[in-house]
Formats: sequence, C-alpha cells, structure tokens
Amino acid sequence: MRLLGVIEKSDKELLLIQDKDKFFTADKNERREKFDNYSVIKNRDISIGNGKTQGEGVFNFRYGPVTAGVAEAGVFNIYTYGERILSVEINPTYKKREIEKQMAGRTPQEALQLAESVCGNFAFSHSLSFSRAIENICGINIDETSQRLRIVALELERIYNNIHVIARLSKGAAQNVLTSHLEWIFEEALRINKLFCKSRFLKHLNAVGGVNFSSFGSLHEISKRIGAVKNKFKELYSHSLKSWNFADRLYKVATLTQKQALSIGITGPSLRSAGVNEDLRQFDKLYDNFQTAARSEGDALARMENRADEIVNSCSIVISQIEKIQNKSLQKKEAEVKDGAGIGFCESPSGIIAYYIELKNGLLDYAYISTPSVFGFKAFADVFVGYIFTDFSFSLDSFGINFADCAR
Amino acid sequence: MKPWAIYGITQRITETFEKTKENIKSVSPIFKKSLHIFPIDVSNDNELNFEMAALATPQYNIHRFGIFFTDSPRHTDILFVLGKCSKKMIEPLKETINQISEPFGIIIIENKFDLGISAEELNLPNVIGYYDKKLEADEILSVLLTIMEDRQ
Repeated sequence: MRLLGVIEKSDKELLLIQDKDKFFTADKNERREKFDNYSVIKNRDISIGNGKTQGEGVFNFRYGPVTAGVAEAGVFNIYTYGERILSVEINPTYKKREIEKQMAGRTPQEALQLAESVCGNFAFSHSLSFSRAIENICGINIDETSQRLRIVALELERIYNNIHVIARLSKGAAQNVLTSHLEWIFEEALRINKLFCKSRFLKHLNAVGGVNFSSFGSLHEISKRIGAVKNKFKELYSHSLKSWNFADRLYKVATLTQKQALSIGITGPSLRSAGVNEDLRQFDKLYDNFQTAARSEGDALARMENRADEIVNSCSIVISQIEKIQNKSLQKKEAEVKDGAGIGFCESPSGIIAYYIELKNGLLDYAYISTPSVFGFKAFADVFVGYIFTDFSFSLDSFGINFADCAR
Repeated sequence: MKPWAIYGITQRITETFEKTKENIKSVSPIFKKSLHIFPIDVSNDNELNFEMAALATPQYNIHRFGIFFTDSPRHTDILFVLGKCSKKMIEPLKETINQISEPFGIIIIENKFDLGISAEELNLPNVIGYYDKKLEADEILSVLLTIMEDRQ
C-alpha cells in the first residue's frame, strides 16, 4: 500500500492510496497506518529534500534556475563544505503554474488541454490518466482499438523518454560517440511520434471517451521504424557496457535501497531497479504476457539498465499491439458528463501518474494530480547525500524526473 | 562491433538541411560564420526544452553551420526565452539578459497552451523574433540560419 497524494478540501483531508491496481481515497482520521512520505507530499509545493545543514565551513551551493546543468527552471540548494554533499533542498516553485486550480470550473475537454500542459514529455501519460478519471466517473467504456492505440502511444512516450535519459547519462560520462547515436535515435523516435499522431510529443491524440486517430495507413511504417530503432539501440547498448569508463561512472552511484524506495513511495523504473517488481501494466489484460524488467542493485547503473530493458520491451509491445489492431474504425463516444468523483491513473515513463477529479454540473469542481517527479526529487535528495558534485548529473538524470511534472 | 572511434565514422547520420524562410530581424553581420545560443526555460511545459535537446541531435548537426550551445548566458549571442513566464522567473530572466554582452538578440517562443505571463509583455530589449506557437527543431534551425545571413 502506497500513499500517492494528500487531498485537502475545506476542513477534510483525504489520502490518495494505491494498493496494486486499486486506487482509492480515505479519510485521514479513519486510517490507522502512518505513511512515511506524508510530509513530503504535504510540502511538495514548497520544498523537497532533507533539510538545511549548518556547521563550520558549510555553505549553500545554489544550483539553478538559470544554468546549463539544469535544463529547467528549478533550484537545488546543495549544502556542502566543498567536497561531500551534506544535504539537498529542492525548490520547485519557479515552475509553479497552478494547473490544478486552473482546471476548476472548466469542462473536461478544456481541462484535458491543461493536463497535457503539465509536462510536455509526459503529455500522453497525463492526458490518459485525466481522461480515465473522467471515464470512470461517467461510466464510459472504450473500444478495443482505441485502447490498443493508447497503449502504443504510452509505449512510444516511454521509448523517447528512456532514450533521452540514457543519452544524458552517457553525455555526463563524456561518451560522445554513444551520445551522438543515442540522440539520433531520440530524434528518430520524435519523428515516429509525429507520423503516428501529427505531434512530436503525442499531444491532442487522446480524448475523453477514445482517441482522435486517423493515421491507420502509417501503422505499418511505424512498426518498421520502431523495429529499426530497437535493433540499433540493442547494438549500441550492448557495446556501451563494454566501456568500463562508462559503467564505472554509474556503478554504485546514488544507490537507492529497497527500504528507502518503499518509504519514499517512488514508483516506475527507479522502484523496479531497487528490487521491487511492480508495474501497473501487469494488470492490463491487453498487454499479453507482460514481463517487467527488474533489477536489485538500486544504483544509477541499475536504473539505466532497467530503462534500457524497457526500451526494448516497449518497442516489442508497440510492434505486437499494431499487429493486433484489426478494426480500422474507432467508436468515439460523446461523453455524457455526470457528477461525481473518480480516479484515473497510468504508468508513465518515470512512474505512476494519478488524477483525482470531482465533477459538478458538467464542470470540474476539484482536481488533484499525483506526479512521479515529486517522489523522484525526494529520492534524489536522499541518495545524493555523501556523494560529490561530479555525481550530480548521474544521480539526477538516472531518475528521469522533471520540474514541470513536479511543480505542475 | 567496431571500436567507438571507428563506429562513429562508419555511418553518415547527418542529413542535408533545407532552410525555410523565417520572419526574423538580423542582429549583426558579425554572426555570419558563428552563432552561440543559450536557451532559458521560464516555465514552459518542457516540450520546448526537449525541442532544444532535439536541435543538438546529429540529424541537424548544427556545428557544421557554426552554431553552438553555450554553458553560460554571458557567452551567448542569441537568448531563447522558452515558454510563458512564471512570476518567480521574471527577475532571473531580466538578470540573465543583464549579463549578456552586446550585440545580442532575444527570441521568444511560446506554446499556445503554456500558462503564465507572455515574455512579450515584459518589454525585453533586443527582441528579434516572437513566436506564439511551438517551433520544432528544424524550424528553430531555420530561424538561426536566417539570422546568420548577412542582410545588412
């Protein structure tokens, strides 16, 4: 059982809890168990980390919001005496856009655009979780072709995100040839996305009640190009691990133990590389014989290996799902909006994204978004302690987290 | 598989690039052969940051045109302001511009669905281009190549 969110509404506090594929809310006062990550979630909009350190010679090395080392607007307050890192406090407020508040009072279709704007590189995962929440409230069933197309899009998103993470890790380790070839695959993956749905970041594809898809004629070419990406990546990756220069930079860096991972509530590849074989896709019947890629070491190398395995798996899933799409027509149902509350979720490239939505008179009354980057930043802050600044990029990039996703 | 140094040159992965004409002001004729760029994220949804990462891929091979990313705004010729500005990023953005040496140009790219204050409303100096739609990596490269044409 895992705590994913704390929903504060007027005088009540509801906990958003996950138990395998069951997601539910519960009144905090009625629950006996204590969740270790409660305070992390409560403070997620203010600061994430493990406190300020004071002492002789200790100073705050403030990294961000404008630096080439951090691609996004966010600040890392790193407390150190010049060598080892003593503690880290992360300030995500520079990117706060108050998206949940802006969703209130909008129709589900308008709010769907906002869900896609939370984090561009997880746009489809956010959009899918949001629309599943609305579909749960309104009791809309999705036809099989649309479901399979959603799986294809989700896996395409996973492929380009995971390649980007590995490319950044190899860039950090100065593996220039490997980085160039991985970046080539990254751009190729974005072009495949565009061929699939006219958007390089899989936006405007998903809709409440189905998908806006018309490129059935391109599916064969997409399948072929994904097959080529898979082969090229496998060749590059197996060769890359022969370079000890690369593997040594990641080995035993920023190790997240299984106990820490469960306590923080982290999900996705970071949890699976710490020895916990959990993946929401296991519970989806349309993923036939889905095998999770799990590791047990928990270090940056294990996280990278996990993502590499997932790229190969995701390519195979895309190809097999495209083969299974028999019906080339979609039955998109116009949603009859009902009042009520519902939860939608999916396994994004970096972990579980969950939406808690309340509808009233056809409009959104309340929205709460649980994002994997909140837990990822907490895990980064915890595991980075004791290492030196040179390990920053390996520690941070191996979690595949974003300020846009965290700050919303 | 061949060693990295040889593997790197066995495949030609750079593509020929056909520039499209972009509506952008020129900054200075001194950028004819070399242009250094720095992107600043002022709270876009990460899509534009990823387009910037895509611009650095070998398909475009921007170095052949003399275009380079810099690690500091102090070394840049062109500042890309990516997205609409959150309240807390206004001051860091203005201070970044303050640190750039003349001559320089600012290009603002905003996504239609971004949330925040439009950088166009902030009266930034030397704005040479404003786009209220997302540009893809090839369009950004066309913009840069247009700047490098000596039209003065």
